[in-house]
Amino acid sequence: MIEFQTLALVDTLQAAYIRSLNSKDMKGWLACFAPGNGQYECRTSESDEQDLHLPLMLDDCYARLQDRVLFITEVWSGTYTDYATRHFVQRISAQRGADGLYQVTTNFMVAYTTARRQTEILVAGRYEDDIAVDKTAATFVRKRAILDTITTPRYLVYPI
Amino acid sequence: MQTETPSLSAPWPVKPNELPKEIFHREDIFQLELERIFRGPVWHMVGHVAELPKPGDFKTTIVGDVRLLMMHGKDGRVRVFHNSCPHRGTQLETAARGCRGEIECPYHRWVFNMEGALVSASGRDRFPATFRNEDYGLRQLKTEQRHGLIFSTFSDLAPPLDEFLGPAGDVLRQALGGDERVTLLGYQKVVYHGNWKECSDNEGYHAPLLHRAFRLLKWQGGKGTQAVSPYGHKTISAELAEAPKGKFLNDPSLIELRDPSRVPRSFVAQLFPLNLFVRHLDVINMRVAFPLSPHATEVHYAYFSRQEDDSEMCAHRRRQAANLLGPSGFISLEDGAVFDRLHEGSYTPGTVAFQKGVTDDGGIESVQLQNDEASNLFKWQVYQSMMGFTHD
Ligand code: FES
Ligand SMILES: [Fe+2]
Repeated sequence: MIEFQTLALVDTLQAAYIRSLNSKDMKGWLACFAPGNGQYECRTSESDEQDLHLPLMLDDCYARLQDRVLFITEVWSGTYTDYATRHFVQRISAQRGADGLYQVTTNFMVAYTTARRQTEILVAGRYEDDIAVDKTAATFVRKRAILDTITTPRYLVYPI
Repeated sequence: MQTETPSLSAPWPVKPNELPKEIFHREDIFQLELERIFRGPVWHMVGHVAELPKPGDFKTTIVGDVRLLMMHGKDGRVRVFHNSCPHRGTQLETAARGCRGEIECPYHRWVFNMEGALVSASGRDRFPATFRNEDYGLRQLKTEQRHGLIFSTFSDLAPPLDEFLGPAGDVLRQALGGDERVTLLGYQKVVYHGNWKECSDNEGYHAPLLHRAFRLLKWQGGKGTQAVSPYGHKTISAELAEAPKGKFLNDPSLIELRDPSRVPRSFVAQLFPLNLFVRHLDVINMRVAFPLSPHATEVHYAYFSRQEDDSEMCAHRRRQAANLLGPSGFISLEDGAVFDRLHEGSYTPGTVAFQKGVTDDGGIESVQLQNDEASNLFKWQVYQSMMGFTHD
C-alpha cells in the first residue's frame, strides 16, 4: 500500500505536467523531469504490438529534453499552426519498484482546439511513468506516453 | 468509358509556371485524379520486402482509394491483392501487419492460400456447375521488385518499371544503402490536412527558409544536383556541410553521421504521383501516402536500418528516425504546417506561380540548382497531360 502522501505528490506532478502543456509552458514541462537524467518518449501501441519500438518522439537524455524545448519555443516558432490541448488523466495503478522509483500508469485522453476554435480528440492512451518521490516533491525519471491512436489527426508540435 | 475532364473556371494557364488553385480542392477533379492518375499508367511504391520478410507475412495499405493486401508467398514472391474477398467483397485483413498461413474470409469462410489462390469454399455443391476455383483467386495487381522495394500498377498501359523509374531507380538503391538488405525499424503515421498534390510539391527553395534548423545546422551548402524525369519524378543528391559541433544543440549526437560507408550526402527520390524515399544523415525513410479526400492526406513514414548494423548503430538510427524527419521531426515538422496552410490558401481565386529557376517567359531554366523550385514544374506538366487539362 502506497502512502496517501506519496500518491498526492505523484498526482501533483501529473497535474503540473498537464498544466504546463495546456498553457504551452515548455520550461514548466521540463521542470517536471528529474534534473540531469529525466527522459521522455512518445510512441504508439502499434509499435509495441509489432515489436518495432520506433517512437514518435524520443528524448533519451536530459539534453534532448532541453532541445525539444528549444525547438518548440524558438526553432519552429512562427511556422506551425498552433493548437491548444486539454489532457484528461486517470491514474490506474501505482507501485514501488525495486529501484525505489514509483511505477505509475495513467490513462489519458487529449482534446485539441484548432486556430479556428474547433475541438476534436487528438490522442488517447496511457502514460507509463517511473517517478522519483522525496519528502516534498516528485519528478519524472522516465515518462512514456503510449498512444492507442496510431495515425495522429495532425502533426504533433507539443509532447503528449 | 473515359470520364470527361471537368472544366476549370479558366483554361489551364499557358505559362508553365502557373497553376490554378481550384485543382487543390475540387471534389470532381479529385475523383478524376483517382481514375486517371492513381489507377492510371503509373507505378506505385507500396512497400519494401523488409516489412514482410518471410512467407505468410502481410501488410495492408491503400493506393489512391483502393484497399490493398500485400502478402509474402511460400514461393518467396510478394504479391499485392485487392483487400476484398472475390465472393461478396468482404475486407479480408483488418490489421496493418501480421503473419498468417492462409487467408480466411469470415463471412462465408472461403479460404485462400498465401499466393492468393482459392483453396476451399463451403457449400460448393450448390454453386453453378461453371464455377471454377481458378476464376476466384484474389484479384492481383501487376507487381515488381527493385532493391526490395515493391512497385504495383493498376494499369496495363504503364511503361516497364525500369523505364518508369529511370535514374530514380539508382537513387533509391543508394538511399537504401546500396542494396535491399535493410530491416524495418518502425512507422510514424499522420494525417495532413492538405491536398495530396500540396503534400508532394516540396522543393529546394523552401528548405533553408522554412526550416530554420537547416540554417542553424549550416545545411544549406547548396552543393547538390536535381534531376527530373519524363514520368514526373524528381531526385536530389545533395552534400551536407559538417554541422558545427556543440554550438546549437544540447545533444549534437542526434545529428551525427555515423554510417562509415559514405560521404555526407542526402538522397531524395520523389516519385510521381505520391511516393518519397529519403536518406538524410543515418535515416533511411520511405514514405507511402494516400489521399483520404481532396482535403486530407495520410502519410506513413517507414524507417529502416541496415542488416549489417550493430546494436549501437541500430539505436542511433532509431533515435534519428524518431526525432529528425517524421511528422514531429526537428527538421521536418514545418512541412506539415505548410501543407495545411497551402490548402486553406487554395480557397482563393486565380493561380499560383513558381518563380525560382523560372525563365522570363515562365519556362524552366535548363540548369536547376539545389535551392530552385522550378524543377517541380516537370511533374506538373505530367499531371496536366494525364488529367487532360488544355489551354483553351
Ligand atoms: S464474402 Fe468472403 S466468403 Fe463470402
Ligand atoms: Fe521541407
